[in-house]
Order: sequence, then C-alpha cells, then structure tokens
Amino acid sequence: MLFFVILALVNGVLIGASRAINGRLSTRTGAFRASVWNHVVGFAFLTAVLLVLRTWPDLTDVPVAAYAGGVFGALFVAVNSHVFPRLGTMSATLLVISGQVLSAVVIDCVQQRTLPAPIRLAGVALVLLGLSLPRVKARLRQKELRRCPTEEK
Amino acid sequence: MTGRALDWLLALAGGVLLTLMTQSNAVLARHTDALYASWAAHGLGAVVALLLVLALARRKPAPTHGAQDGGGAPLWYYLGGIPGALVVVLSAVAVNSELALAGTIALMLTGQMVFGTFSDHLGLLHTPRRRITATDLAGAGCVLAGSVLIVLGGA
Repeated sequence: MLFFVILALVNGVLIGASRAINGRLSTRTGAFRASVWNHVVGFAFLTAVLLVLRTWPDLTDVPVAAYAGGVFGALFVAVNSHVFPRLGTMSATLLVISGQVLSAVVIDCVQQRTLPAPIRLAGVALVLLGLSLPRVKARLRQKELRRCPTEEK
Repeated sequence: MTGRALDWLLALAGGVLLTLMTQSNAVLARHTDALYASWAAHGLGAVVALLLVLALARRKPAPTHGAQDGGGAPLWYYLGGIPGALVVVLSAVAVNSELALAGTIALMLTGQMVFGTFSDHLGLLHTPRRRITATDLAGAGCVLAGSVLIVLGGA
C-alpha cells in the first residue's frame, strides 16, 4: 500500500516538474511552441512504451468526440506554460488545481442535474477561502499602513 | 485589468481546460485503454499545437521572464513532455491499486502542491526563487484540503 501511496505522490511531483519545465521552455520559444514540444516529445515517449509493451486496444466503436482531449490538451499546455513562469510554480499550481476542481463540480452538477453533495460544497468553500487568503492579508496590511501615520500625529 | 489579474484568470481557465481534457481522455480510455488514450491525445495535441503556432505565433518571440543568458535553451527544457507522459503510465498502476481513482488524484494533488512549494522556495528547475510565507502555506493548505474533499466527495 505504502508503495502505491509514494507512487501517486511522485506522480504529482512529475506533473509539477513537467509543467514547470514547459514553463521554462516557453520563456525561450513562446507558449505555443512549448506546447508543440511537450506533445511531440510525450508522443515519442509513449510510442516507445507502446512498442515495448506491445499492447494495442480494439479501436472499433470509439466515439470521435472522445478524441477532443488532444485539442484541450494542446490549449492547456500553452496556457499553463504562459502563466507558470509569470506567477511562480506554487501560485500557478494552486490556481490551475482550483480551476480544475471547481469546474469539475460545476460540470458534474450540470450533467447530473443535482446539487453537489455537502462534502463537495465544503470543499468548494475551502478552495475559495484558500485562494482569497493572500489577498485578504494584503488588504489588512494596507489598512494598517494607512492607519499608522495618523496615529503618530 | 492588470496583467496579474489576467494571469490569474488564465491559470484558472487552464484548470477548466484540464477538466475538459481529463473528461474526454477518460471516455477514450474507457473505450480503449489508458496508454492508448494518452498516446492518441499526445499525437493529436501535437498536431493541434502546431496548427496554433502556424495560425497565431508564426514569429518566435524574444526571450522573456528570467531567460538570462542569450544562448540556446538547454536540452532538458525540451523534455517536459517525458515526465508528463510517464504520469499516464504510473497513474494507471496507482488507480488499479487499493487507492482507486479518488485516492490517486488526492495524492497527486498533494504531490503537486508540495513540489510547487519546494520549487519556489529553492528555485528548482531554473525557476526564480520566491519566499514562501506562512500565509502562502495556509492558503495552499486550504486549497489542497478543499480539493481533496471535492475529489473524495465525487467518488
């Protein structure tokens, strides 16, 4: 069990590293070219894995719409590579994850035509709180700074 | 709108794209398998990204944001696709364990957050070092906890 826990954690680190590296590349080539490289290199790597494992699924009755993921992926890597170096790895990671989980709640709501479970609503509230914390703190500090000079009079 | 606010919105929009991508890829994986789904998505993604370059970004931009030296990018800058693709293979293994999908996603989010914190703090992978404050950590903790609740609540 511990092995799989570590494996999943390492997976998260790999995702972060991949996005940060693509972000670095975008500072040299631009975000769209970074997306091309990410996909070409990933495709070559997965082709090698497929050749080694020699697995090939049955491709009859696959809906064409299921292939739309490639389009979203190309756009995502471009957007992500653009914001990563600008916001810093931590902030960018936080925002992307927030957009991901919040939109997942909304999409599930629309598709299933039900309100989210209470536990999910609590999760949404926590995410929004976490995103606003640094801003609330900054505003409080500004207020304090403004108050200080008047107190000195 | 300030540039910073725009970057914020773009990053959130990136997350939305990620959800759409995950949904489509999951449908593809259900009809085939995880490895093929990712392989096909990478291949198609490469074509789409290339079309985007031709349509929107023909001219290569001048290096920006912390690209200090004028020389070419180091080779590993081009290899970000490898850890990204490796994730597909490894997560398929984790999802099939006792962790199941929700547990795997929750742990992957944790790994990302921890990486983001250390990466900024230590300036890993040529990213500019940023001081991580207690407020940053508290905010990240809230987002992580909330995300895990959302993931587990949907399982």
